[in-house]
Amino acid sequence: MGLKAVVNSPSPAASTDESGAVEVTNVGHVYETASGTTEALTDISFRVETGRFVSIVGPSGCGKSSLLMMIAGLVQPTRGTIIAGGRPLVQPDPTRIGVVFQDASLYPWLTARSNVEFPLSLRHVDRKIRRERAEAALELVGLAGFADKHPHELSGGMKQRVALARGLVQDPPILLMDEPFAALDEQTRLTMGDEVLRIWERTRKTIIFVTHGLSEAIHLSDEVLVLTSRPGKLVDRVAVDLPRPRSFEVMGGRRFEELRERIWQRIRS
Amino acid sequence: MNTATVRSTGARVIPAPVARAALVAALIAVWQVAPTIGLVDPRLLPPPSVVGPMIVHLFGESGFQGHLATTLLETVIAFLVSVPVGFILAILIGENKYASDIFKPLVFFVFSIPKSIFLPLFIFAFGISFHQKVAFGVFSTLFIVMMLSFAAIESVRRDHLVVARSYGATRMQTVLRVYLPGMTPVLLEAIRVSMIFNFTGILLAEMYASREGLGNVIEQWGQGFQLDRLMATIVVIAAIAIVFNETIRALESRCEHWRE
Ligand SMILES: Nc1ncnc2c1ncn2[C@@H]1O[C@H](COP(=O)(O)OP(=O)(O)O)[C@@H](O)[C@H]1O
Ligand SMILES: [Mg+2]
Repeated sequence: MGLKAVVNSPSPAASTDESGAVEVTNVGHVYETASGTTEALTDISFRVETGRFVSIVGPSGCGKSSLLMMIAGLVQPTRGTIIAGGRPLVQPDPTRIGVVFQDASLYPWLTARSNVEFPLSLRHVDRKIRRERAEAALELVGLAGFADKHPHELSGGMKQRVALARGLVQDPPILLMDEPFAALDEQTRLTMGDEVLRIWERTRKTIIFVTHGLSEAIHLSDEVLVLTSRPGKLVDRVAVDLPRPRSFEVMGGRRFEELRERIWQRIRS
Repeated sequence: MNTATVRSTGARVIPAPVARAALVAALIAVWQVAPTIGLVDPRLLPPPSVVGPMIVHLFGESGFQGHLATTLLETVIAFLVSVPVGFILAILIGENKYASDIFKPLVFFVFSIPKSIFLPLFIFAFGISFHQKVAFGVFSTLFIVMMLSFAAIESVRRDHLVVARSYGATRMQTVLRVYLPGMTPVLLEAIRVSMIFNFTGILLAEMYASREGLGNVIEQWGQGFQLDRLMATIVVIAAIAIVFNETIRALESRCEHWRE
């Protein structure tokens, strides 16, 4: 397999901080529908250390979303176990894991602020604290002045920022993002990528980021997990040994091309 | 915004609301002039100058007040029964796949039948009474409420529900904070359309057989050739219907962006 050989070595072996670690062991998932069964994922195992930025790439339909939903506790794996933040997950736990979806999925009847406060209000957090935290989260994503706007008054990129703030508002150690910028135009996508990196560097959360953009995955991540489809299988783990911050030169350099080529080959095989 | 600019190739000399008001005014003017100059028999079409004062006069008549009160009461009661009952039935059916498979087609079948043909049965069951009017009003409204409620439930976006779940919403929180606001735009439309069915049902039942109510006086004054009174009542009923409809429509437009 050669899997071991490519596992990111610069990650400090001393990392015993389980608070943001995600451990996926022999996970498989089968969907049962009226028209039959679909084996979405089979025998997936990997571990993400606390504070790491890991991307998952793979062709559409290979089970990336399913995998993320299982880590979030929204879907139960048919096989295997998932441990997040040191404990198994039997149902969604928003204090451990925040999720950002492809469509921002904001509630159109709530303002940006109320959307961000939503997770807190579900837990009956005191109104004042709720407000403070929502403001802080909106400021973190660069939307301080837009708290009172409704989603229909915001651009696609701004909506995703609100969704990001909503994911961050309870300060979970783990953040899952499912193709969060796929619906945005190229330029906004690049800006949002930088934004996520800035937030990651400030908060040092574990981020698991699903994308089908190979460049985006390499640009952002410490490590790229490569899935292939039918059924979804983990075929490679590529450590991105490019120095940060990843400047324009680094991204246009030879090593970047090598990594990109390798991931591309693995996806096609 | 864009459709308007694309379509208005010619200059828009008059704003649409002004043009609309002018059109209504012109129709009223024709209604006034035609009987006055003898184009139509004023006994067949009493002009606004007769109908207007008649409306004022009718509101002062205790008999008319009673008829108006009866109709409004029947309408309100039938509405307050049929809308919640239809909505709750729709939720119970819509939530369960098996129940949906059984009941949804039946609701569609019954909805397609003209309700007026059942009026004689309602008289057998309830007699010619207040209850009979209300029951027929409920019957006329229930199925449209259910059909529109099915649509309202389906209009709730799945991803909105997933978000709620991922942030640990309880079942009750999901209903109150996601389902209800998510359904509101379609639900308001349901309320508006249901009222049209409801009001129609009540008036029809009154016209068919009754001793009181606006439907009854319309029938009476039509038969008795009292067209000034008939026209005045028609205007009153039309005004009630339009005011209700427009009120709900105003609420709808306030939450129009909720659908996005
Ligand atoms: N709720 C579901 N019911 C049945 N099949 C599903 C469901 N969700 C996903 N699938 C199937 O599982 C496979 C993986 O889907 P998904 O996880 O969405 O992949 P990706 O996110 O990589 O595009 C696909 O074949 C898809 O059709
Ligand atoms: Mg997906």
